[in-house]
Amino acid sequence: MNENLIAALILLIYFSPIFYQLIIVIRESKKGNKLPLKKLYQFLKISMLILIPSVVFFFIISHTNYFNYQKPMKFSEYDKITFDNFRGLNFFKKSLYGNTRFAYIVTSIDTNIDKDSVSIDALFHPSRSFVYNKKTYSKDLLSHEKYHFKITELFVRKAKERISKLKTKNKSNIDYILNSIEKEESKYQQEYDYNTFHSYVHSEQKRYEREIDSLLTLLNHFKKSKITLHEKK
Amino acid sequence: MKKNKVILILLIAIGFANCAEEKHKFPIEKRFWDLNDYDKAILDLRFGYLNDEKKPTFDDPEQRIIVEKLTDEQNFKVVLDDTELGLKHKNKVATEFFSHWKDMSSIYQERDRKDMYVYGKEMLAVWQFGLGLQLRYFKLGNDETIEGSDDPNSKEIRNLVNSNVNTLSTNYTYYLSLVNEEKSLTKKEQDIYANGISKYFTDLVELYPNAKYDSLKEKASLMLNKTESNSIKSALTKLIALIDSKKVKKE
Repeated sequence: MNENLIAALILLIYFSPIFYQLIIVIRESKKGNKLPLKKLYQFLKISMLILIPSVVFFFIISHTNYFNYQKPMKFSEYDKITFDNFRGLNFFKKSLYGNTRFAYIVTSIDTNIDKDSVSIDALFHPSRSFVYNKKTYSKDLLSHEKYHFKITELFVRKAKERISKLKTKNKSNIDYILNSIEKEESKYQQEYDYNTFHSYVHSEQKRYEREIDSLLTLLNHFKKSKITLHEKK
Repeated sequence: MKKNKVILILLIAIGFANCAEEKHKFPIEKRFWDLNDYDKAILDLRFGYLNDEKKPTFDDPEQRIIVEKLTDEQNFKVVLDDTELGLKHKNKVATEFFSHWKDMSSIYQERDRKDMYVYGKEMLAVWQFGLGLQLRYFKLGNDETIEGSDDPNSKEIRNLVNSNVNTLSTNYTYYLSLVNEEKSLTKKEQDIYANGISKYFTDLVELYPNAKYDSLKEKASLMLNKTESNSIKSALTKLIALIDSKKVKKE
């Protein structure tokens, strides 16, 4: 059965007492009886009071799995990442292009601008990342997902490189670099998924792996998260 | 009584919602179709359509994407031509694609009362998809045989490889038999058919220039005498010339 239909049916059953009450209201209003209307408001209030928090709870849990929470991991812990760390829950997406054996990783760029330094880190969010089966032994799938994290780290290092080259290292210039880096990273991530078709095109996957690894090595100098803005003389 | 009415309304609503669901679903948004997609698509195209229901065609702007996807050679090339993938894996995929292609062949075979192919272009596209696929399928099979043998130059292995190439050549010959059905094809379809000879048979002869093409040449000559289409005549003449040119080089 269609998923939308199931959702509609559940809502229909959930709201059935209200519909029933509505019929009574229509019937009784002709006779001038206002009591069922009050009852309808009460039904509606109770239903919404249960429904809204449930929906909110449902969305929060599907965004970040707080039942099995693990704090974000830094790139220095890259080698420790396995599918055991993919702890997110997924209620909406059942397949990726018809493939039920899929995973996705959530990464982000975390920045902290201080007076004399700026810290930029690539973070992997275990409780927001999902795999269809934690026990799967699919090296290719894990490698594809982990390279998304490497891409984030690559752009973090690029950001640090650009900041270090700034003549005027003020907040607005740094913010401008960080904004443009985030856009570039997002575009690169999309291209990576498109060209490798989520790792299905193996030769493209390998090409990207070589490219990302060599670019990361080139920017090894920017491995540390913190860069100093004003060198002491 | 009122409860019955509510239940009835609910049932009607469910019925409508089910009717609104698309009858034929193909993964047209997917960049490459894999074997699972072919499984489902072939099953639907073979058995999911009513007798008088129109199947996806190249001429239908809304449905053409389905037949384009179905006959897109990139779907197998992306795996079989991938140099990073293992030979055994590619061979396994090629074997399954070949098996699927055999099932695909029956999708667009329908004819009308004048014996014309109802889906001539689509039928030819499926044929040509198979020609491109077989070229890779047989090559991968031979490569694996050679790789797994103790002595790739042994008589036994060479005979096996040659025998496979002969089978491939025989399979290609079946495509030439379509000349016997050329009256069932429109002029445009005959041109598409002729293009298929030019493209795929050239690929075959260029890939295996030292193979024996005597029966293929004989078939091409017979078909050349039979055909009334200029484009087919031209394609067959070029094919015979190509086979002869390879023979001269060998001598």
